[in-house]
Amino acid sequence: MIDPNRLILLGEIGAAHGIRGEVSIRTFTDNPADIAAYGPLSDKTGKRLFTIAGLRVTPKAVIARFKGVEDRTAAERLRNIGLYVARSSLPELEPGTYYHEDLAGLTAVDARGAEVGCVLGVVNYGAGDLVEIVRPQERETLLLPFTDAAVPAIDLAAGRVTVIVPTFVVAEDPDTADDKVEPIKE
Amino acid sequence: MTRSVWKGPFVDGYILKKAEKTRASGRNEVIKIWSRRSTILPHFVGLTFGVHNGQKHIPVSVSEDMVGHKFGEFAPTRTFPGHGGDKKAVKK
Repeated sequence: MIDPNRLILLGEIGAAHGIRGEVSIRTFTDNPADIAAYGPLSDKTGKRLFTIAGLRVTPKAVIARFKGVEDRTAAERLRNIGLYVARSSLPELEPGTYYHEDLAGLTAVDARGAEVGCVLGVVNYGAGDLVEIVRPQERETLLLPFTDAAVPAIDLAAGRVTVIVPTFVVAEDPDTADDKVEPIKE
Repeated sequence: MTRSVWKGPFVDGYILKKAEKTRASGRNEVIKIWSRRSTILPHFVGLTFGVHNGQKHIPVSVSEDMVGHKFGEFAPTRTFPGHGGDKKAVKK
């Protein structure tokens, strides 16, 4: 079940920039400028609020000015603070589209309902989204394409995702396969 | 320097054979390969390869846009996990 009050990390304040109270921000949003798109940001506790008064995107970082931060000394005190928004601040998505943060932590089960593991997150290396699953008693994580064939059902309310682990077949180079012959015992 | 056109794209031969075999079987299989240097050919579109990144096999579902690239381009050897933020995943 999605907790609307859960805080989502959108960025982290970096070094102070200039003498007018600006700071650089390392953003974790799809579009760097979207850090200001979801309303006031808060720290990890949710008690301290940050309102962005000015923002510009540079090739190296996002430079922002917060309301109430007027000089460099005040800006330097903000370093390493995480910037969060409540999950309810993020807009609703079309069917078939999911936030990475919503998928992380779901229980992965197979077609028969047996537990496979826990979803660690979603990665994309250029060939489509991949769901990364941590399996108990397995050192390596399992990566599955985020397709209807591999991930047929997602139940966010129940916190469960159904996965079909495909069969892996090995295409081995016959030349190097010879190297894997067991050594002769003396 | 780019590869001469007369040579054609480079692909390890055993991958071609395995791809044909998998396509003929019609099963939903991931072909584990270590050959990151092989070029993605139009024959491979629709198949899923598990490309080794030095640690594990990264599933690469081949689409038309990937033809002409190398398998290794889609299985990075160094990764930074990062944070979810507002990133979205679209199910295909």
